[in-house]
Amino acid sequence: MDHDTGPSTLSSQEDTVSGSARLIGAHMPTAGGLKNSLTSGKEIGCTAVQLFTGNPRQWSHPSLTDDEIREFRSTHEQTGIPFLVAHDSYLINLAAPAADVLERSRSAFRGELDRAHALGIPWVVTHMGSHLDQGEEEAVQRLITSLREILEETEAEGCTAGVALETTAGQGTGLGWSFNQLGDILKGVGENPRLGVCMDTCHVFAAGYDIRTPETYRDTIQKFDELVGINHLRVIHTNDSKKGLGSRVDRHEHIGMGEIGMEAFSLLLNDERLMHVPVIAETPDAQTMHRVNVARLRRLAASGAYGIVVTAQLFGHYSELFPGGTVDVLLPKGAVINDLAAALTDLNPALSDLSTHCRFAIADELVDGSAVLREGCTVAALPPSSGG
Amino acid sequence: MAYAHIGTEVIDTAALEARVVTVEDGAVCTFIGNVRRRSRGREVAYLEYNAYLPIANRMLQEIADEAESRWQVKLAVQHRIGRVDLGEAGVVVVVTSVHRAEAFDACRFCIDTLKENVPIWKREVCPDGAFWIEGEVSLPASKAD
Ligand SMILES: [Zn+2]
Ligand SMILES: [Zn+2]
Repeated sequence: MDHDTGPSTLSSQEDTVSGSARLIGAHMPTAGGLKNSLTSGKEIGCTAVQLFTGNPRQWSHPSLTDDEIREFRSTHEQTGIPFLVAHDSYLINLAAPAADVLERSRSAFRGELDRAHALGIPWVVTHMGSHLDQGEEEAVQRLITSLREILEETEAEGCTAGVALETTAGQGTGLGWSFNQLGDILKGVGENPRLGVCMDTCHVFAAGYDIRTPETYRDTIQKFDELVGINHLRVIHTNDSKKGLGSRVDRHEHIGMGEIGMEAFSLLLNDERLMHVPVIAETPDAQTMHRVNVARLRRLAASGAYGIVVTAQLFGHYSELFPGGTVDVLLPKGAVINDLAAALTDLNPALSDLSTHCRFAIADELVDGSAVLREGCTVAALPPSSGG
Repeated sequence: MAYAHIGTEVIDTAALEARVVTVEDGAVCTFIGNVRRRSRGREVAYLEYNAYLPIANRMLQEIADEAESRWQVKLAVQHRIGRVDLGEAGVVVVVTSVHRAEAFDACRFCIDTLKENVPIWKREVCPDGAFWIEGEVSLPASKAD
Protein backbone atom coordinates (compact mmCIF):
# COMPACT_ATOMS: atom_id res chain seq x y z
CA MET A 1 0.00 0.00 0.00
CA ASP A 2 1.25 3.44 -0.90
CA HIS A 3 0.65 5.55 2.20
CA ASP A 4 1.03 8.77 0.31
CA THR A 5 -1.79 8.15 -2.12
CA GLY A 6 -3.83 11.34 -2.00
CA PRO A 7 -7.61 11.50 -2.09
CA SER A 8 -7.48 12.45 -5.79
CA THR A 9 -6.27 8.97 -6.71
CA LEU A 10 -8.77 6.80 -4.89
CA SER A 11 -7.94 3.70 -6.84
CA SER A 12 -9.65 0.37 -7.28
CA GLN A 13 -6.78 -1.06 -5.27
CA GLU A 14 -7.85 1.03 -2.30
CA ASP A 15 -11.40 -0.19 -2.72
CA THR A 16 -10.16 -3.75 -2.48
CA VAL A 17 -8.19 -3.09 0.68
CA SER A 18 -11.07 -1.23 2.31
CA GLY A 19 -13.50 -3.88 1.12
CA SER A 20 -11.64 -6.64 2.89
CA ALA A 21 -11.23 -4.59 6.07
CA ARG A 22 -14.99 -4.26 6.25
CA LEU A 23 -16.37 -6.67 8.82
CA ILE A 24 -18.86 -8.73 6.82
CA GLY A 25 -20.01 -12.28 7.37
CA ALA A 26 -22.85 -14.61 8.22
CA HIS A 27 -24.38 -16.75 10.93
CA MET A 28 -22.40 -19.95 10.43
CA PRO A 29 -23.51 -23.46 11.39
CA THR A 30 -21.69 -25.25 14.23
CA ALA A 31 -22.54 -28.84 13.25
CA GLY A 32 -19.60 -31.10 14.17
CA GLY A 33 -18.13 -28.57 16.62
CA LEU A 34 -18.20 -24.85 17.40
CA LYS A 35 -14.93 -24.29 15.58
CA ASN A 36 -16.46 -25.41 12.28
CA SER A 37 -18.34 -22.12 12.14
CA LEU A 38 -14.94 -20.41 11.87
CA THR A 39 -13.35 -22.67 9.27
CA SER A 40 -16.42 -22.63 7.03
CA GLY A 41 -16.83 -18.88 7.57
CA LYS A 42 -13.22 -18.32 6.57
CA GLU A 43 -13.75 -20.45 3.49
CA ILE A 44 -16.58 -18.27 2.19
CA GLY A 45 -14.81 -14.99 2.91
CA CYS A 46 -16.28 -13.96 6.25
CA THR A 47 -14.44 -11.33 8.28
CA ALA A 48 -17.20 -11.58 10.89
CA VAL A 49 -18.94 -14.74 12.11
CA GLN A 50 -22.03 -15.25 14.25
CA LEU A 51 -22.69 -18.57 15.93
CA PHE A 52 -24.76 -20.36 18.53
CA THR A 53 -22.56 -21.53 21.39
CA GLY A 54 -25.23 -24.00 22.51
CA ASN A 55 -28.32 -25.64 21.07
CA PRO A 56 -30.70 -22.70 20.47
CA ARG A 57 -33.76 -24.87 21.14
CA GLN A 58 -32.63 -26.40 24.41
CA TRP A 59 -32.49 -25.01 27.92
CA SER A 60 -29.47 -26.81 29.19
CA HIS A 61 -26.08 -27.14 27.59
CA PRO A 62 -23.28 -29.40 28.67
CA SER A 63 -20.65 -26.90 29.76
CA LEU A 64 -17.78 -26.36 27.35
CA THR A 65 -14.75 -28.53 28.00
CA ASP A 66 -11.27 -27.03 28.26
CA ASP A 67 -10.41 -28.87 25.06
CA GLU A 68 -13.35 -27.32 23.18
CA ILE A 69 -12.38 -23.86 24.38
CA ARG A 70 -8.74 -24.37 23.45
CA GLU A 71 -9.64 -25.76 20.02
CA PHE A 72 -12.04 -22.90 19.32
CA ARG A 73 -9.52 -20.28 20.37
CA SER A 74 -6.71 -21.79 18.31
CA THR A 75 -8.98 -22.11 15.26
CA HIS A 76 -9.94 -18.47 15.79
CA GLU A 77 -6.26 -17.54 15.80
CA GLN A 78 -5.58 -19.60 12.66
CA THR A 79 -8.51 -18.29 10.66
CA GLY A 80 -7.80 -14.75 11.79
CA ILE A 81 -11.46 -13.72 11.64
CA PRO A 82 -11.48 -10.33 13.37
CA PHE A 83 -15.03 -10.24 14.72
CA LEU A 84 -17.12 -12.91 16.40
CA VAL A 85 -20.59 -12.63 17.90
CA ALA A 86 -22.80 -15.21 19.58
CA HIS A 87 -26.58 -15.44 19.24
CA ASP A 88 -28.47 -16.62 22.30
CA SER A 89 -30.99 -19.44 22.60
CA TYR A 90 -34.51 -18.83 21.25
CA LEU A 91 -36.04 -20.09 24.50
CA ILE A 92 -34.66 -17.32 26.65
CA ASN A 93 -37.27 -14.74 27.72
CA LEU A 94 -35.72 -12.20 30.06
CA ALA A 95 -39.14 -10.53 30.39
CA ALA A 96 -41.12 -13.72 31.14
CA PRO A 97 -44.19 -13.23 33.36
CA ALA A 98 -43.87 -16.68 34.97
CA ALA A 99 -41.31 -16.70 37.79
CA ASP A 100 -39.88 -20.12 36.93
CA VAL A 101 -39.40 -19.30 33.24
CA LEU A 102 -37.86 -15.95 34.16
CA GLU A 103 -35.37 -17.58 36.53
CA ARG A 104 -34.51 -20.27 34.01
CA SER A 105 -34.03 -17.62 31.31
CA ARG A 106 -31.76 -15.52 33.47
CA SER A 107 -29.61 -18.46 34.37
CA ALA A 108 -29.46 -19.61 30.74
CA PHE A 109 -28.47 -16.12 29.64
CA ARG A 110 -25.72 -15.91 32.23
CA GLY A 111 -24.54 -19.20 30.71
CA GLU A 112 -24.56 -17.59 27.23
CA LEU A 113 -22.35 -14.76 28.48
CA ASP A 114 -20.02 -17.13 30.34
CA ARG A 115 -19.58 -19.33 27.27
CA ALA A 116 -18.96 -16.31 25.03
CA HIS A 117 -16.38 -14.98 27.48
CA ALA A 118 -14.61 -18.33 27.68
CA LEU A 119 -14.49 -18.58 23.88
CA GLY A 120 -13.26 -15.01 23.40
CA ILE A 121 -16.50 -13.82 21.76
CA PRO A 122 -17.09 -10.16 22.67
CA TRP A 123 -20.87 -9.85 22.13
CA VAL A 124 -24.00 -11.94 22.62
CA VAL A 125 -27.02 -10.90 20.56
CA THR A 126 -30.35 -11.46 22.26
CA HIS A 127 -33.97 -10.86 21.40
CA MET A 128 -35.78 -8.87 24.04
CA GLY A 129 -38.32 -11.47 25.11
CA SER A 130 -42.13 -11.43 25.05
CA HIS A 131 -44.83 -10.07 27.34
CA LEU A 132 -47.23 -12.94 26.48
CA ASP A 133 -50.24 -10.62 26.98
CA GLN A 134 -49.53 -10.35 30.72
CA GLY A 135 -48.86 -6.61 30.64
CA GLU A 136 -46.28 -4.97 28.39
CA GLU A 137 -45.11 -2.31 30.86
CA GLU A 138 -44.38 -4.88 33.57
CA ALA A 139 -42.58 -7.06 31.02
CA VAL A 140 -40.32 -4.15 30.02
CA GLN A 141 -39.52 -3.56 33.69
CA ARG A 142 -38.69 -7.26 34.20
CA LEU A 143 -36.44 -7.19 31.15
CA ILE A 144 -34.62 -4.12 32.47
CA THR A 145 -34.17 -5.75 35.88
CA SER A 146 -32.93 -8.98 34.28
CA LEU A 147 -30.36 -7.17 32.15
CA ARG A 148 -29.15 -4.96 34.97
CA GLU A 149 -28.74 -7.87 37.37
CA ILE A 150 -27.09 -10.14 34.83
CA LEU A 151 -24.62 -7.44 33.76
CA GLU A 152 -23.73 -6.75 37.39
CA GLU A 153 -23.39 -10.39 38.40
CA THR A 154 -21.33 -11.42 35.40
CA GLU A 155 -19.14 -8.32 35.68
CA ALA A 156 -18.35 -9.26 39.27
CA GLU A 157 -17.19 -12.64 37.95
CA GLY A 158 -14.85 -10.97 35.47
CA CYS A 159 -16.95 -11.62 32.37
CA THR A 160 -16.19 -9.11 29.60
CA ALA A 161 -18.70 -10.35 26.99
CA GLY A 162 -21.41 -7.79 26.30
CA VAL A 163 -25.12 -7.92 25.46
CA ALA A 164 -26.40 -6.58 22.12
CA LEU A 165 -30.19 -6.16 22.19
CA GLU A 166 -31.64 -7.00 18.79
CA THR A 167 -34.41 -4.94 17.22
CA THR A 168 -37.31 -7.34 16.71
CA ALA A 169 -40.01 -7.72 14.06
CA GLY A 170 -42.84 -7.27 16.55
CA GLN A 171 -44.17 -10.71 15.88
CA GLY A 172 -46.69 -11.93 18.48
CA THR A 173 -46.04 -10.32 21.84
CA GLY A 174 -42.32 -9.73 21.28
CA LEU A 175 -40.80 -6.68 22.93
CA GLY A 176 -38.38 -4.15 21.47
CA TRP A 177 -39.67 -3.73 17.93
CA SER A 178 -40.29 -0.02 18.34
CA PHE A 179 -37.26 2.24 18.54
CA ASN A 180 -39.09 4.07 21.34
CA GLN A 181 -39.32 0.98 23.50
CA LEU A 182 -35.77 -0.13 22.73
CA GLY A 183 -34.57 3.35 23.75
CA ASP A 184 -36.55 3.10 27.01
CA ILE A 185 -35.01 -0.30 27.74
CA LEU A 186 -31.48 1.03 27.16
CA LYS A 187 -32.16 4.01 29.41
CA GLY A 188 -33.72 1.74 32.02
CA VAL A 189 -30.64 -0.46 32.21
CA GLY A 190 -28.31 2.55 32.11
CA GLU A 191 -25.15 3.22 30.13
CA ASN A 192 -22.74 0.31 30.29
CA PRO A 193 -19.89 -0.48 27.91
CA ARG A 194 -21.18 -4.08 27.91
CA LEU A 195 -24.62 -3.07 26.66
CA GLY A 196 -25.26 -2.35 22.99
CA VAL A 197 -27.73 -2.87 20.19
CA CYS A 198 -28.01 -5.08 17.12
CA MET A 199 -30.10 -3.76 14.24
CA ASP A 200 -31.76 -6.35 12.03
CA THR A 201 -32.90 -4.88 8.70
CA CYS A 202 -35.59 -7.52 8.16
CA HIS A 203 -36.99 -6.95 11.64
CA VAL A 204 -36.87 -3.15 11.38
CA PHE A 205 -38.69 -3.31 8.04
CA ALA A 206 -41.28 -5.80 9.28
CA ALA A 207 -41.81 -3.55 12.30
CA GLY A 208 -42.82 -0.75 9.95
CA TYR A 209 -39.64 1.29 9.41
CA ASP A 210 -39.00 1.78 5.69
CA ILE A 211 -35.41 1.83 4.39
CA ARG A 212 -35.98 1.18 0.67
CA THR A 213 -35.08 4.61 -0.73
CA PRO A 214 -32.48 7.24 0.21
CA GLU A 215 -35.22 9.37 1.82
CA THR A 216 -36.86 6.61 3.86
CA TYR A 217 -33.46 5.20 4.82
CA ARG A 218 -32.34 8.61 6.05
CA ASP A 219 -35.52 9.13 8.07
CA THR A 220 -35.41 5.68 9.65
CA ILE A 221 -31.75 5.92 10.64
CA GLN A 222 -32.35 9.42 11.99
CA LYS A 223 -35.24 8.14 14.09
CA PHE A 224 -33.07 5.24 15.27
CA ASP A 225 -30.31 7.65 16.19
CA GLU A 226 -32.65 9.92 18.16
CA LEU A 227 -34.42 7.16 20.06
CA VAL A 228 -31.80 4.42 20.37
CA GLY A 229 -28.50 6.03 19.36
CA ILE A 230 -26.26 4.99 16.48
CA ASN A 231 -23.45 5.03 19.05
CA HIS A 232 -25.03 1.97 20.67
CA LEU A 233 -24.90 -0.12 17.47
CA ARG A 234 -22.57 -3.11 17.81
CA VAL A 235 -23.79 -5.43 15.04
CA ILE A 236 -26.07 -5.13 12.02
CA HIS A 237 -28.01 -8.15 10.78
CA THR A 238 -28.43 -7.62 7.07
CA ASN A 239 -31.42 -9.71 6.03
CA ASP A 240 -33.93 -9.03 3.32
CA SER A 241 -37.57 -9.77 4.15
CA LYS A 242 -40.04 -12.18 2.59
CA LYS A 243 -42.88 -10.12 4.09
CA GLY A 244 -43.93 -6.54 3.46
CA LEU A 245 -43.37 -3.29 5.32
CA GLY A 246 -45.06 -3.35 8.73
CA SER A 247 -46.09 -7.00 8.38
CA ARG A 248 -44.77 -7.73 11.90
CA VAL A 249 -43.73 -11.13 10.56
CA ASP A 250 -40.11 -12.30 10.74
CA ARG A 251 -39.11 -14.17 7.54
CA HIS A 252 -35.61 -13.64 6.24
CA GLU A 253 -34.79 -13.53 2.52
CA HIS A 254 -31.55 -13.38 0.52
CA ILE A 255 -29.94 -9.95 0.19
CA GLY A 256 -31.77 -7.87 -2.41
CA MET A 257 -34.19 -10.68 -3.27
CA GLY A 258 -37.03 -9.74 -0.94
CA GLU A 259 -39.39 -6.90 -0.15
CA ILE A 260 -36.56 -4.62 1.00
CA GLY A 261 -34.47 -4.78 -2.18
CA MET A 262 -30.87 -4.05 -3.04
CA GLU A 263 -30.80 -0.26 -2.67
CA ALA A 264 -31.39 -0.34 1.09
CA PHE A 265 -28.34 -2.57 1.57
CA SER A 266 -26.23 -0.33 -0.62
CA LEU A 267 -27.29 2.70 1.46
CA LEU A 268 -26.56 0.88 4.71
CA LEU A 269 -23.17 -0.44 3.64
CA ASN A 270 -22.10 2.96 2.37
CA ASP A 271 -23.27 4.93 5.37
CA GLU A 272 -20.04 6.26 6.78
CA ARG A 273 -21.46 6.46 10.31
CA LEU A 274 -21.84 2.67 10.28
CA MET A 275 -18.63 1.81 8.49
CA HIS A 276 -16.92 0.07 11.40
CA VAL A 277 -20.00 -1.83 12.56
CA PRO A 278 -19.84 -5.55 11.69
CA VAL A 279 -22.49 -6.84 9.31
CA ILE A 280 -23.93 -10.38 9.55
CA ALA A 281 -26.28 -12.14 7.12
CA GLU A 282 -28.79 -14.52 8.68
CA THR A 283 -30.25 -15.47 5.34
CA PRO A 284 -31.65 -18.90 4.36
CA ASP A 285 -29.81 -21.87 2.84
CA ALA A 286 -26.54 -21.45 4.72
CA GLN A 287 -24.76 -24.28 2.89
CA THR A 288 -25.25 -22.97 -0.61
CA MET A 289 -26.19 -19.31 -0.29
CA HIS A 290 -24.11 -17.77 2.50
CA ARG A 291 -21.17 -17.55 0.12
CA VAL A 292 -23.34 -15.64 -2.37
CA ASN A 293 -24.85 -13.29 0.20
CA VAL A 294 -21.50 -12.49 1.81
CA ALA A 295 -19.95 -11.75 -1.60
CA ARG A 296 -22.94 -9.58 -2.47
CA LEU A 297 -22.63 -7.56 0.74
CA ARG A 298 -18.93 -7.11 0.13
CA ARG A 299 -19.54 -5.91 -3.41
CA LEU A 300 -22.17 -3.44 -2.26
CA ALA A 301 -19.79 -2.17 0.40
CA ALA A 302 -16.98 -1.71 -2.10
CA SER A 303 -19.15 0.33 -4.45
CA GLY A 304 -19.18 3.46 -2.33
CA ALA A 305 -16.64 6.13 -1.58
CA TYR A 306 -14.65 4.61 1.21
CA GLY A 307 -12.99 5.90 4.32
CA ILE A 308 -9.59 4.87 5.58
CA VAL A 309 -8.31 1.56 6.90
CA VAL A 310 -6.31 1.80 10.10
CA THR A 311 -4.61 -1.18 11.73
CA ALA A 312 -4.72 -1.30 15.50
CA GLN A 313 -1.89 -3.21 17.14
CA LEU A 314 -2.68 -4.21 20.72
CA PHE A 315 -0.27 -5.13 23.48
CA GLY A 316 -0.52 -6.70 26.93
CA HIS A 317 -3.79 -8.47 27.73
CA TYR A 318 -5.53 -6.61 24.90
CA SER A 319 -3.43 -8.55 22.39
CA GLU A 320 -5.55 -11.63 23.09
CA LEU A 321 -8.76 -9.99 21.89
CA PHE A 322 -8.05 -10.28 18.14
CA PRO A 323 -6.16 -12.89 16.15
CA GLY A 324 -2.51 -11.90 16.01
CA GLY A 325 -3.21 -8.98 18.35
CA THR A 326 -4.15 -6.73 15.44
CA VAL A 327 -7.37 -5.67 13.75
CA ASP A 328 -8.08 -3.49 10.72
CA VAL A 329 -10.71 -0.85 11.38
CA LEU A 330 -12.54 1.10 8.74
CA LEU A 331 -13.05 4.75 9.70
CA PRO A 332 -14.31 7.89 7.98
CA LYS A 333 -11.67 10.11 6.42
CA GLY A 334 -10.39 12.61 8.97
CA ALA A 335 -10.89 10.22 11.90
CA VAL A 336 -8.66 10.74 14.93
CA ILE A 337 -7.19 8.42 17.60
CA ASN A 338 -10.25 8.88 19.83
CA ASP A 339 -12.52 7.71 16.99
CA LEU A 340 -10.38 4.61 16.61
CA ALA A 341 -10.61 3.90 20.35
CA ALA A 342 -14.40 4.29 20.21
CA ALA A 343 -14.65 1.97 17.19
CA LEU A 344 -12.49 -0.64 18.94
CA THR A 345 -14.70 -0.48 22.04
CA ASP A 346 -17.71 -1.08 19.80
CA LEU A 347 -16.03 -4.23 18.50
CA ASN A 348 -15.22 -5.52 21.97
CA PRO A 349 -16.38 -4.04 25.29
CA ALA A 350 -13.22 -5.42 26.92
CA LEU A 351 -11.53 -2.45 25.19
CA SER A 352 -13.70 0.18 26.91
CA ASP A 353 -10.83 1.21 29.19
CA LEU A 354 -8.38 1.38 26.28
CA SER A 355 -8.05 5.16 26.09
CA THR A 356 -7.69 5.63 29.86
CA HIS A 357 -5.30 2.68 30.26
CA CYS A 358 -3.13 3.11 27.17
CA ARG A 359 -0.80 5.48 25.40
CA PHE A 360 -1.06 5.46 21.62
CA ALA A 361 1.77 5.47 19.12
CA ILE A 362 2.14 5.74 15.38
CA ALA A 363 5.53 4.42 14.29
CA ASP A 364 8.03 5.79 16.84
CA GLU A 365 5.95 8.75 18.02
CA LEU A 366 3.50 8.89 20.90
CA VAL A 367 0.30 10.64 19.79
CA ASP A 368 -2.67 12.07 21.66
CA GLY A 369 -6.39 11.47 21.17
CA SER A 370 -6.82 14.23 18.62
CA ALA A 371 -4.10 13.01 16.25
CA VAL A 372 -5.49 12.55 12.73
CA LEU A 373 -5.17 9.07 11.22
CA ARG A 374 -4.01 8.37 7.71
CA GLU A 375 -4.98 5.61 5.30
CA GLY A 376 -2.92 2.50 5.99
CA CYS A 377 -1.34 3.66 9.23
CA THR A 378 -0.78 1.34 12.18
CA VAL A 379 -1.66 2.57 15.64
CA ALA A 380 -0.11 0.81 18.62
CA ALA A 381 -1.99 0.85 21.92
CA LEU A 382 0.50 0.66 24.77
CA PRO A 383 -0.71 -0.32 28.26
CA PRO A 384 1.34 0.72 31.32
CA SER A 385 4.86 -0.68 31.08
CA SER A 386 6.20 -3.53 33.17
CA GLY A 387 9.73 -3.96 31.87
CA GLY A 388 12.83 -4.22 34.06
CA MET B 1 26.30 8.34 23.32
CA ALA B 2 25.27 5.62 25.73
CA TYR B 3 24.86 2.00 24.69
CA ALA B 4 21.23 0.82 24.74
CA HIS B 5 19.98 -2.45 23.30
CA ILE B 6 16.80 -4.53 23.39
CA GLY B 7 16.99 -8.10 22.08
CA THR B 8 16.28 -11.76 22.62
CA GLU B 9 19.88 -12.79 23.37
CA VAL B 10 21.05 -13.71 26.88
CA ILE B 11 22.68 -10.68 28.50
CA ASP B 12 26.44 -10.99 28.89
CA THR B 13 27.04 -8.73 31.89
CA ALA B 14 30.84 -8.84 31.60
CA ALA B 15 30.68 -7.81 27.95
CA LEU B 16 28.30 -4.98 28.82
CA GLU B 17 30.66 -3.79 31.56
CA ALA B 18 33.58 -3.96 29.16
CA ARG B 19 31.79 -1.41 26.94
CA VAL B 20 32.03 1.31 29.59
CA VAL B 21 34.80 0.45 32.06
CA THR B 22 38.08 2.38 31.64
CA VAL B 23 41.07 2.98 33.92
CA GLU B 24 39.77 6.51 34.58
CA ASP B 25 36.76 5.15 36.49
CA GLY B 26 36.87 4.57 40.20
CA ALA B 27 33.27 3.37 40.32
CA VAL B 28 31.41 0.68 38.40
CA CYS B 29 27.77 0.29 39.35
CA THR B 30 25.98 -2.69 37.80
CA PHE B 31 22.28 -3.35 38.33
CA ILE B 32 21.00 -6.77 37.31
CA GLY B 33 17.23 -7.36 37.21
CA ASN B 34 16.78 -11.11 37.55
CA VAL B 35 13.71 -13.28 37.02
CA ARG B 36 12.66 -14.48 40.45
CA ARG B 37 10.61 -17.47 41.45
CA ARG B 38 7.95 -15.70 43.48
CA SER B 39 5.94 -12.77 42.24
CA ARG B 40 2.78 -11.28 43.77
CA GLY B 41 2.30 -14.45 45.78
CA ARG B 42 2.57 -16.69 42.72
CA GLU B 43 5.12 -19.25 41.69
CA VAL B 44 6.63 -18.22 38.34
CA ALA B 45 7.86 -20.78 35.78
CA TYR B 46 9.39 -18.23 33.41
CA LEU B 47 8.80 -14.74 32.01
CA GLU B 48 8.09 -13.53 28.56
CA TYR B 49 8.97 -9.95 27.66
CA ASN B 50 7.31 -8.19 24.78
CA ALA B 51 8.06 -4.70 23.51
CA TYR B 52 6.80 -2.14 21.07
CA LEU B 53 10.22 -1.68 19.53
CA PRO B 54 9.78 1.48 17.44
CA ILE B 55 9.29 3.44 20.66
CA ALA B 56 11.09 1.18 23.14
CA ASN B 57 14.41 1.44 21.26
CA ARG B 58 14.20 5.20 20.92
CA MET B 59 13.14 5.78 24.56
CA LEU B 60 15.74 3.49 26.06
CA GLN B 61 18.44 5.33 24.11
CA GLU B 62 17.08 8.71 25.22
CA ILE B 63 16.97 7.67 28.89
CA ALA B 64 20.51 6.29 28.74
CA ASP B 65 21.81 9.44 27.02
CA GLU B 66 20.06 11.69 29.51
CA ALA B 67 21.62 9.80 32.44
CA GLU B 68 25.07 10.09 30.87
CA SER B 69 24.86 13.83 30.36
CA ARG B 70 23.10 14.66 33.64
CA TRP B 71 25.61 12.84 35.87
CA GLN B 72 28.59 12.95 33.51
CA VAL B 73 28.95 9.15 33.53
CA LYS B 74 29.18 6.39 30.95
CA LEU B 75 26.23 4.02 30.73
CA ALA B 76 25.32 0.76 28.99
CA VAL B 77 21.88 -0.83 29.27
CA GLN B 78 20.47 -4.01 27.76
CA HIS B 79 16.94 -5.43 28.04
CA ARG B 80 15.75 -8.83 26.95
CA ILE B 81 12.57 -9.73 25.08
CA GLY B 82 11.09 -13.17 24.51
CA ARG B 83 11.33 -15.99 27.04
CA VAL B 84 13.57 -15.44 30.06
CA ASP B 85 14.04 -18.26 32.54
CA LEU B 86 14.35 -18.14 36.33
CA GLY B 87 17.67 -16.78 37.50
CA GLU B 88 18.41 -15.12 34.17
CA ALA B 89 18.69 -11.37 33.81
CA GLY B 90 15.85 -9.49 32.16
CA VAL B 91 17.74 -6.22 32.27
CA VAL B 92 21.27 -5.04 33.11
CA VAL B 93 22.41 -1.44 33.62
CA VAL B 94 26.12 -0.62 33.95
CA VAL B 95 27.33 2.86 34.92
CA THR B 96 30.93 3.94 35.33
CA SER B 97 32.20 7.20 36.75
CA VAL B 98 35.06 8.72 38.67
CA HIS B 99 33.20 8.60 42.01
CA ARG B 100 30.40 6.31 43.23
CA ALA B 101 27.64 8.83 43.99
CA GLU B 102 27.07 9.76 40.33
CA ALA B 103 27.20 6.11 39.28
CA PHE B 104 24.53 5.07 41.80
CA ASP B 105 22.26 7.99 40.95
CA ALA B 106 22.52 7.55 37.19
CA CYS B 107 21.95 3.80 37.47
CA ARG B 108 18.87 4.27 39.62
CA PHE B 109 17.49 6.94 37.28
CA CYS B 110 17.96 4.66 34.29
CA ILE B 111 16.23 1.58 35.74
CA ASP B 112 13.40 3.58 37.35
CA THR B 113 12.65 5.61 34.23
CA LEU B 114 12.89 2.55 32.04
CA LYS B 115 10.37 0.66 34.19
CA GLU B 116 7.99 3.60 34.19
CA ASN B 117 8.08 4.63 30.54
CA VAL B 118 9.56 2.22 28.03
CA PRO B 119 6.84 0.14 26.35
CA ILE B 120 8.02 -3.29 27.44
CA TRP B 121 5.68 -5.74 29.17
CA LYS B 122 6.16 -8.94 31.05
CA ARG B 123 3.92 -11.92 30.97
CA GLU B 124 4.42 -14.22 33.93
CA VAL B 125 3.93 -17.84 33.06
CA CYS B 126 3.00 -19.85 36.14
CA PRO B 127 2.28 -23.58 36.48
CA ASP B 128 -1.48 -22.91 36.61
CA GLY B 129 -1.84 -20.13 34.04
CA ALA B 130 -0.23 -16.98 32.71
CA PHE B 131 -0.62 -13.33 33.74
CA TRP B 132 -0.12 -10.07 31.87
CA ILE B 133 1.59 -7.43 33.99
CA GLU B 134 0.60 -3.87 33.13
CA GLY B 135 2.05 -1.29 35.51
CA GLU B 136 0.97 -2.44 38.97
CA VAL B 137 -1.90 -4.49 37.58
CA SER B 138 -1.77 -8.21 36.85
CA LEU B 139 -4.40 -9.73 34.54
CA PRO B 140 -5.02 -13.41 33.86
CA ALA B 141 -4.16 -14.47 30.31
CA SER B 142 -6.54 -16.71 28.38
CA LYS B 143 -3.70 -18.88 27.11
CA ALA B 144 -1.71 -20.79 29.69
CA ASP B 145 1.71 -20.82 28.03
ZN1 LIG C 1 -31.32 -11.04 13.39
ZN1 LIG D 1 -35.28 -12.67 12.36
